[in-house]
Amino acid sequence: MRGAARLLVATLGLALAAALTRAIGELPAERPSQAVDLRPQVVAHLDQTGVSHPVTAVLLDYRGYDTLLEVAVLALALIALLVLAGARDARLCAPAGSPLLVSLARGLVPVVVLTGGYLLWAGAHRPGGAFQAAAVLAAGAVLLQLAGLMPAWASPGRWLRLGLMLGFGVFLGVAYGLLGRGALLDYPPQWAGALILLIETGLTLSLGLTLAGLFLFLTERRGRP
Amino acid sequence: MPAAYADPSAGLIVLPLAWAAAAFVLGPGRGGGMAVVALMGQCALALGLAVGVMQTGPRVHAVGGWGAPLGIDLAADGLTVLMLLLAQSVALAVAVYARGYFADHAHRAQGLWFWPQMGFLVAALNALFLSADLFNLYVTLELLGLAAVGLVAVGGAAGQMAAALRYLVVSLIASGAYLMGVALLYGAHGTVSLATLGPLLAAGSPRLADSLAAALMLAGLLAKTALFPFHAWLPPAHGRAPAPVSALLSALVVKAGFYLVLRLWLGPFAPLAAPAGPLLGALGAAAVLFGSWQALRTAHIKRLVAWSTVAQLGYLFLVFPLLDSGGQALAAAMLQAVAHGLAKAAMFAAAGVLVLATGRDTLDGLAGVASRLPVTLFAFGLAGVTLMGLPPSGGFLAKWLLIDAAFRAGQWGWVPVVIGGGLLAAAYVFRVLRQAFLLAPPAARFQPVPRRLEWTAFALAAASVLLGLRAGELLALLGADG
Repeated sequence: MRGAARLLVATLGLALAAALTRAIGELPAERPSQAVDLRPQVVAHLDQTGVSHPVTAVLLDYRGYDTLLEVAVLALALIALLVLAGARDARLCAPAGSPLLVSLARGLVPVVVLTGGYLLWAGAHRPGGAFQAAAVLAAGAVLLQLAGLMPAWASPGRWLRLGLMLGFGVFLGVAYGLLGRGALLDYPPQWAGALILLIETGLTLSLGLTLAGLFLFLTERRGRP
Repeated sequence: MPAAYADPSAGLIVLPLAWAAAAFVLGPGRGGGMAVVALMGQCALALGLAVGVMQTGPRVHAVGGWGAPLGIDLAADGLTVLMLLLAQSVALAVAVYARGYFADHAHRAQGLWFWPQMGFLVAALNALFLSADLFNLYVTLELLGLAAVGLVAVGGAAGQMAAALRYLVVSLIASGAYLMGVALLYGAHGTVSLATLGPLLAAGSPRLADSLAAALMLAGLLAKTALFPFHAWLPPAHGRAPAPVSALLSALVVKAGFYLVLRLWLGPFAPLAAPAGPLLGALGAAAVLFGSWQALRTAHIKRLVAWSTVAQLGYLFLVFPLLDSGGQALAAAMLQAVAHGLAKAAMFAAAGVLVLATGRDTLDGLAGVASRLPVTLFAFGLAGVTLMGLPPSGGFLAKWLLIDAAFRAGQWGWVPVVIGGGLLAAAYVFRVLRQAFLLAPPAARFQPVPRRLEWTAFALAAASVLLGLRAGELLALLGADG
């Protein structure tokens, strides 16, 4: 029975792989004339988005609504984790920090914070932005915890909860505030750059806390004061 | 321009996101009252949107002011508005119920993060119903799936955890299949906007990439809807979750997948999807029979109601082979979706009360309930009337329209499935009622249950029955599609 099921899954998987290969092979190298090409449109409206990097323009302006919902997905992931963490009896123990790790963390974390700030600022005109900056900041927090310089988080207090939701709240507030111009997230061109920077700053903080939380809420040190 | 701030499509997404975030900041177990008030507002917004669509036809809201295909559009037509109305009204009733349910000492620990998760769940549903963009739909599916999985896990009993994990795996694989389809379509046509994609797919003969994309997306959505044979994750997930969660999942979340299949079927995939109609109908028929049969065999109340969901979802897919034969099949599907949504929320709410009162989730424990909890049992019975399809319920009208459509299309084979499914539904509903009317054993003890729980279940059940009397308005809304 089990063998037959495996055989079935393997056959289905192979068939899907073969069909995908063929379908992608059939696609013409150049898009046919009737297909839509968004790249010129993205570039053509770039001066109205307040940023000069097309990826940031797509993420926070053209398709900023997708990003808003993605931030909600990350918040939900953290809440689901809190649900699970509340149910755990035994928690993971971090290894005791060795002197080498401690001095490495002390030296590295300031650089990490600086890099995060730079990535946030750079997002407007080159690859970077809130998600990357937040990932770097979260890595710094994990490093501090592993080195034993920062305790793991038990359950989020009021300020931590506020910090976790701040970026999402700012983003949602801006999106709704611009509804007066006729549509959600309809940035006025002269304010777009500043508003996007405001949103990205909030997101850097909150996403950094969220990503760090995904690690820190499940970790607890034992045997040390 | 203060009027713009009351835009219903935007409000229906922003408002639940806002109260979900606020409930999280307020802290564990808090935010229920705010949720109820906000949901009342959402009901008003959905009604406003319904009136607007009836009067002036479908609406489009271009987020960011760009418009498709560069930006993302929100679109509302009759189909959208019907699902939005169902979602807001069921969510409001469940919120009222959940405030009572989680206030109970035994469930307080389960409800710690219920409110933010419910807010995100409702926001995801509304965003999904309104979205007119394939990639944005993927994001809403992710949000919906994650909220639903998290809600199944609340409380964290071992069985619940296993059910949640299984649900998570199915949900992720299904999302992956859907996303693969979106990627193929974007590669072939350079756009993910439904409105732009429709003419592109209709022009020229369909390529393998298009058909494969449609098949992958369809398979993913069917798994999320738990259509037979993808149903295995549903009974444990819906059976083990706390009652308010089960009500939300069974009444609303599984409908989202069905709604999308219907939306894509009637929209861009119309030229590609026709050959799959009989297959979907056959799977639906199998679901009706198999789900009902399992509901007849299980020993647990909530498991019985969950298997009944598997069966009732089958009816929704019976309409796909009949859609070409006129508008009645679509009306039948939407009436069934709305009637089942109300009835199933009522049934899980009632089942939650029964479990709370008897202290266990088995049919054997129900003896004597009839004299102690008459309102709850009446609610369960009324919801059962809708599932069986007795007049004047919404379920009766849906099944009537379905049989009518089958006769018109000359596809008589579906008729015995509809009638047989109704009889099986009667059998499993009477299993519960019969047990409840037995005399209680002398040692039986019943916990007191807040009145609020009983009456919310009753209100939902009554709505599902009375829906049959007001079906004209609902069908007119569908006609507003133009």
